[in-house]
Amino acid sequence: MPRPDPVLAGPVAPWRFDAIGTAWTVDAVDEVDAHARAAVADLVARFDRTWSRFRDDSLVAEVAAAPGTWELPAEAEPLLALYGRLHAITAGAVSPLVGRRLADLGYGSGYALRPVADPAHVPAWSSITWSPPLLTTTEPVVLDVGAAGKGLLVDLVAAELAHHGVPGVVVDASGDLRHDGSGPLRVALEHPHDPTLAVGVADLPPGRSLAGSAVNRRAWADDLHHVLDARTGRPTRDVVASWVVADSCLLADGAATAAFFVPPDELAATLGVEVVRLRADGRLEWSPGFPGEMFT
Amino acid sequence: MAPRTTSPLTKTVLAAGAGTALLLTAACGGSEEASTSTPAPSQQSQDSGDSGSASGSYKAGDYTAKGSYSRPSGTSSVEVEVKLEADGTISDVTVTPEANGTSLQYQQKFVSGIKAEVVGKKIDDLDVSKVSGSSLTSQGFNQAIDEIKGDAAA
Repeated sequence: MPRPDPVLAGPVAPWRFDAIGTAWTVDAVDEVDAHARAAVADLVARFDRTWSRFRDDSLVAEVAAAPGTWELPAEAEPLLALYGRLHAITAGAVSPLVGRRLADLGYGSGYALRPVADPAHVPAWSSITWSPPLLTTTEPVVLDVGAAGKGLLVDLVAAELAHHGVPGVVVDASGDLRHDGSGPLRVALEHPHDPTLAVGVADLPPGRSLAGSAVNRRAWADDLHHVLDARTGRPTRDVVASWVVADSCLLADGAATAAFFVPPDELAATLGVEVVRLRADGRLEWSPGFPGEMFT
Repeated sequence: MAPRTTSPLTKTVLAAGAGTALLLTAACGGSEEASTSTPAPSQQSQDSGDSGSASGSYKAGDYTAKGSYSRPSGTSSVEVEVKLEADGTISDVTVTPEANGTSLQYQQKFVSGIKAEVVGKKIDDLDVSKVSGSSLTSQGFNQAIDEIKGDAAA
């Protein structure tokens, strides 16, 4: 386990909670008071109620039922704008419309983890029109914001805490994290095939975020995993893990998925992020400006 | 971290085989386009009378080679620079595409920052505050996997 270090060794214990199916840790200089905790809990509940693909009473479930027009909450604007950029940068490989295909392959509510006989195709981007705050669909699409939604929620939780006067926090959603504390935060980049090993260390400066994505753990039958190439509807093969440092956790999270399809240099130049990725052949690739050290 | 090469090139590649092998090594970091292309060195030269030994020993130094390959749209080329150690280890590789348009886009996919075989270090031996990785993945997914394992064992 990581040792305590000066950046996070505050006078108060970290605040831990579960949200959107994963464990969260907030390291703050001061105690996070009850009001702030309640506000964060409300925020997380609203977010889940809107975006979850794993419950039948979410807005995403409503959108999936039939074509139509819906008003989406404010956070949809940066989220879908980023998806638009990622879709363009990856020549269509990243799409928020892979939800039904993912569910048919076994990764949906109920976690069947067994593919159906004839999984649905991935709808074309043209099957939706996004004119904030209105989303119009021409077919019943299942939105999947798995590529960037968790990062967005990290940003929103950090903003909510700041709004409640909780300064200098690190918000960590199981490895996708935003660092608003002081001093560089050292983060081990865990080897996807050996959780006792790090492939490198990121030195995350204050004000920056880091997100990672790996395909080995959330993998099931016949080499299926959760990062689909929207163009083929099949899981990606060449890259097994990626990490991105960016100015927001939303951007870091989304770019970490794009890194499965676009080399680090190109992604760094296009999005203003820093990228590390581990290829299936065991080679590590990183953008020259990545803050940290690689163990090669 | 491996430094990017900044030293001036002092030697050129000694053998056609070396050029081909180096180009393949550099190209496989990229796209499917790369793996289906057929690299063939189009140019080799030798400077200052260095004699290339064919018996398996290497002369340390910086080398460069230009390779070309055919695409449906025509011939493209890349320049590959390597730093070769005396034991035959390549300690640095830089690939420079020489093309334009679509071909340049494909070639840029070969040129992907710095790359090296991952070795790794024990996380327990590192002074870190956090870990980012897949062992901390979604609880729902992990539960489902556990259930399936349970079913399979029953």
